[in-house]
Amino acid sequence: MATQPWQHEGILTTSLREVVTWARRNSLWPMPFGTACCAIELMATLASKYDMARFGAEVIRFSPRQSDLMIVSGRISLKMMPVLSKIWEQMPEPKWCISQGACASCGGIFDTYAMIQGVDKFIPVNVYIPGCPPRPESIIDALIKIQEIVDSEGIRQRTA
Amino acid sequence: MTDVSAAAVEKLVALFPDVLIGTGESCGQRYADVRRDRIVDLLTFLKSDAELQFEMLMDVTAVDYLNQGAPERFCVVYQLYSISKNGYFRVKAYVPEADPTIDSVSGLWKSAPWAEREVFDLYGIEFAGHPDLKRIMLPDYYTGHPLRKDYPLRGLGERDNFPKYAGGA
Repeated sequence: MATQPWQHEGILTTSLREVVTWARRNSLWPMPFGTACCAIELMATLASKYDMARFGAEVIRFSPRQSDLMIVSGRISLKMMPVLSKIWEQMPEPKWCISQGACASCGGIFDTYAMIQGVDKFIPVNVYIPGCPPRPESIIDALIKIQEIVDSEGIRQRTA
Repeated sequence: MTDVSAAAVEKLVALFPDVLIGTGESCGQRYADVRRDRIVDLLTFLKSDAELQFEMLMDVTAVDYLNQGAPERFCVVYQLYSISKNGYFRVKAYVPEADPTIDSVSGLWKSAPWAEREVFDLYGIEFAGHPDLKRIMLPDYYTGHPLRKDYPLRGLGERDNFPKYAGGA
């Protein structure tokens, strides 16, 4: 954004791509799919000490229609997977997904008959967080990585 | 105070010799091993007898004695409690692998139907006369019975072969 002589009148020039990605990346509304202890860490991240609001992602929406960031926090059983898929489908584009913790990413220690071995088999995941459960710093790091992805994607059509 | 479970053992030995396999004591609690044939009669007796009064069915569960030399492979366990006489008793009914069926005690205790559904879900033991015998924890489309000892930890492919969500909110 170059300085122009008419800027003192409250006008600045920018590109549409820049202003749209700026708005998107700084107002991510998470859909918390909390099924286990990872959700407790997510709550700690949202609370005052770590304060995810600093990154514009404090508006937790429990309606998928109003959110654009799926955070899968916890283990997903095969009975729960169709629910997760349906909620993911209900979220409007553009949307992103964080797989938080070992269980959501690969099944973790639950290598059993009823547990999904990684939600990325069924929904697209943008950022994986390691840890069991991950600390709030890791969740903030993942959020910043999502912001970088939002920034680099631009405003192209995401789906055919 | 006399222990009500000792009286229960005495009465079962006297009145149900045809189905009684044996009695014993484990963890400070007496139990009776029985055949499944007259399980409803036997539990009705334990519940209604004036000196026993096992009014409360605390739990119905099961054990898989695969290759452990038990009378039959499966065993349905009834945990009884007498509120009036303050005593516990355990009835273990053996169920063969070839025909895993036992009569339901849903008519005796309101606590029985859900506990029996859990046993059906995880062991595949069917309860004849149950009002609504279906899975209680695993999804309805699940095929295996995971607490059987010959069931592999990682399942028989259920975690990959389940109805995926096909789209269309």
